[in-house]
Amino acid sequence: MVIKLRRFSRSKITKFIAFSLTVVLITLTMVLSNYAINSRMNLESLFVKDYIKSDSFIYGKLSKSIHEINNHFINDTESIKPEPEYLYYITDGEITKHNASLEDILKQEEYLYKFKENVWDYGENTFKNVQNYVKEDTSLYLVFPKEYLEEQQQKWDMERDRLMPIAVSVIISLIVVILCVIYLMAVTGKIPEDNEVHLASYADRIYSDIQLGILLITLYFWLYGLYGFFGHYSNRDVLSMEQYYSIIMTGIISFVGSIVCGVIMLSLVRKLKARRLLKHSMIYAVLYAISRFIRSFFDDSRFEHFPLTKSLNRRQIIFTVASGGMVFLFLLFWAASESFIAGLIPVLIEGAIIFWYFHENNKTFDEINRGFQESLQEQMKSERMKVDLITNVSHDLKTPLTSIISYVDLLSKEELPESARDYVNILADKSGRLKNIVSDLFDLAKSTSGNLPLNMETLDLKKLIEQTLGDMEDEIERSDIRIKTSLTEAPVYIYSDGKKLYRVFQNIIGNAIKYSLSGTRVFIDMEYENNYINVIVKNTASYDMDFTAEEILQRFTRGDESRSTEGSGLGLSIAESFTWACGGRFKVEIDGDLFKVKIQFPVVGV
Amino acid sequence: MDAARILVADDDREIASAIEKLLIMEGYEVIKAYNGLEALDALVSSQVHLIILDIMMPKMDGLTTMMKVRDSKNIPIILLSAKSEDSDKILGLSMGADDYVTKPFNPQELVARVKSQLRRYLQLGDKDSVNSTTKLTVGGLCMDLEKAELTVDGEQVKLTAKEFKILEFLMRNAGNVFSAEQIYERVWQEQAFSVENTVMVHIRRIREKIEINPKEPKYLKVVWGIGYKIEKI
Repeated sequence: MVIKLRRFSRSKITKFIAFSLTVVLITLTMVLSNYAINSRMNLESLFVKDYIKSDSFIYGKLSKSIHEINNHFINDTESIKPEPEYLYYITDGEITKHNASLEDILKQEEYLYKFKENVWDYGENTFKNVQNYVKEDTSLYLVFPKEYLEEQQQKWDMERDRLMPIAVSVIISLIVVILCVIYLMAVTGKIPEDNEVHLASYADRIYSDIQLGILLITLYFWLYGLYGFFGHYSNRDVLSMEQYYSIIMTGIISFVGSIVCGVIMLSLVRKLKARRLLKHSMIYAVLYAISRFIRSFFDDSRFEHFPLTKSLNRRQIIFTVASGGMVFLFLLFWAASESFIAGLIPVLIEGAIIFWYFHENNKTFDEINRGFQESLQEQMKSERMKVDLITNVSHDLKTPLTSIISYVDLLSKEELPESARDYVNILADKSGRLKNIVSDLFDLAKSTSGNLPLNMETLDLKKLIEQTLGDMEDEIERSDIRIKTSLTEAPVYIYSDGKKLYRVFQNIIGNAIKYSLSGTRVFIDMEYENNYINVIVKNTASYDMDFTAEEILQRFTRGDESRSTEGSGLGLSIAESFTWACGGRFKVEIDGDLFKVKIQFPVVGV
Repeated sequence: MDAARILVADDDREIASAIEKLLIMEGYEVIKAYNGLEALDALVSSQVHLIILDIMMPKMDGLTTMMKVRDSKNIPIILLSAKSEDSDKILGLSMGADDYVTKPFNPQELVARVKSQLRRYLQLGDKDSVNSTTKLTVGGLCMDLEKAELTVDGEQVKLTAKEFKILEFLMRNAGNVFSAEQIYERVWQEQAFSVENTVMVHIRRIREKIEINPKEPKYLKVVWGIGYKIEKI
């Protein structure tokens, strides 16, 4: 039952009917009111039954008549109409004025107003509380004839008869309107499905204060319109065209006005119910935006999308510009008013700006420090993890490889058919190569991750190159490549790890021999460049070098792509990585068939 | 003499049995252990002449086991490890190992090292005490100056006159580093001029004769960019 009632009361149709009814009734009320007023209907007839007790008679006729007679008597003016509706007799003993004889007047004693010796005396059928006075020591006899009064009373009753239905319908309309408005206010925003307040999608989007403005403006024009169109009087009994027009206009503006005001009022009520009335106002929005803008300077949200250093920079710009502005303001105030107080305002604001600048910067610095610490710890952690990873993977790869190599060796000692022996030889060869690759891979991993243990000492680079060449002499002899060296005369001391550097040169020279065109020479030159010593190894490639210097240094890239020759393909990468780890620079240049490796070390002054 | 008995301790059973088979082929007796504690038990129950000991083992690692063995026994110990850093090797050797082999190893090299260690331990053990002024000894290297003979772990090695002189000079000053010029002037008795290559080639040849793995020399070492030395063992 309750749910049914709720479904009914909150349904759109019911609401629409109530709203329409309100609008129509308001319009009707206005139109009827204007009609009544335009028809010169006297509202008093509704409340006062007897004409002679009505204000219309007392002030409109009686007082006016007494005033007229008095004026006429004292000033001798022609203020009395030629044929007034009343009979009078006035005298002060000497002068007497009248429009009827005293006898005729006294005949109608029941309707007599007598003023004698400054006291009023009333007949039976009269209004018994006249406040007007006549000149002193003057006697006035005034009668509104019975016929006249009866005629007036008849008119008075007719008027009441005409006015009563209008008044009743206006009052009923107003009661219905009030009930409808209360109902609409109660149910607006509610829907049958739940008890929440739902804001309308269009009307409620307008800010509350703007709605209020529209409401006030509409009310103003409505009332102004009503004021303009009400009270077009006419003395004729029938209404003029102009009066009809004003009545219709009253209806139209009331209709439009009540719709606009109703919609806005209901919207405001909805917002009030949803507790959004103040929040959803333009003033609130503007103030909120301003406060958020100011707050954003203090709670870091202003620069939260910037990197920390960028926010420092932005803050600096704001600080500088604002401070400049304050200095300008200060000078302006100073010059304009010469008042100490006015000059103080920019100074105070500047103080606030300085406080803000240092306070916020301090926060940012703290944050940078924290981030720095965190990244440092993170880095240390990841370094440790890298070392562990390399060690573990290294162990996990080397252990099975040990088994493979050992069993291949055992297998080769067995009595095997010829073909099986070939296979075992291939296995032995490949597992050996795998061993080299794994070893190279871990050397490379260690050095690129910065975990290469180094044994740094001062050594002679020239000697190191000569030793390397001596060590590789067999390999050089076996090839048809010749080495042409152009080393320095004197020893060149550098600070490095000799064993690692030996691997560097072993790899570079080994590569140069392996990939050189048959019969060509490999050049090894040493030359000073300021405080640096350059070692340049040049050779003529035996194949088309269709790659860049960068590509050749990528892991697992080898000079010739066929990859048929032995080696891990990591030689050059290891050389590069070791050189950088040992404190040198490593560069590869490719110029046509010329392959050039340049290694640079700072010279130690010994 | 009975065949030498070797204890192989490695937690990887395949590797342990591969080494066992390799050594049996060479005529040795082998006992296997899969962790440090088993290795120590095996040492108590039978007489062992050499231990091949993996470093990373469960229950008790190789280094700890080695220290326990060293408390009572002086037999040769060859450490086996996947750790290939110089620092790992130096640590192992300084803690009492006689040799250090990195995984993956060349089976023949391991066998050679086992042979070398056993020769020194079994055959030369007593002769070590005979300290003669005519003999220079560094580890397994033994140079008889009178006979102009060099033995490595008891096996004679033929050197040229120059090679012999270089080795003698370095062995006399074992542990010190000498430049090519210094070596040349001592050995050739001439003014040294552009001799790096000459000396280096000689060094390499000597290394090939006395070292089991010339690429990872035990005795004759190149100090890159500085000179050469015989490791003092």
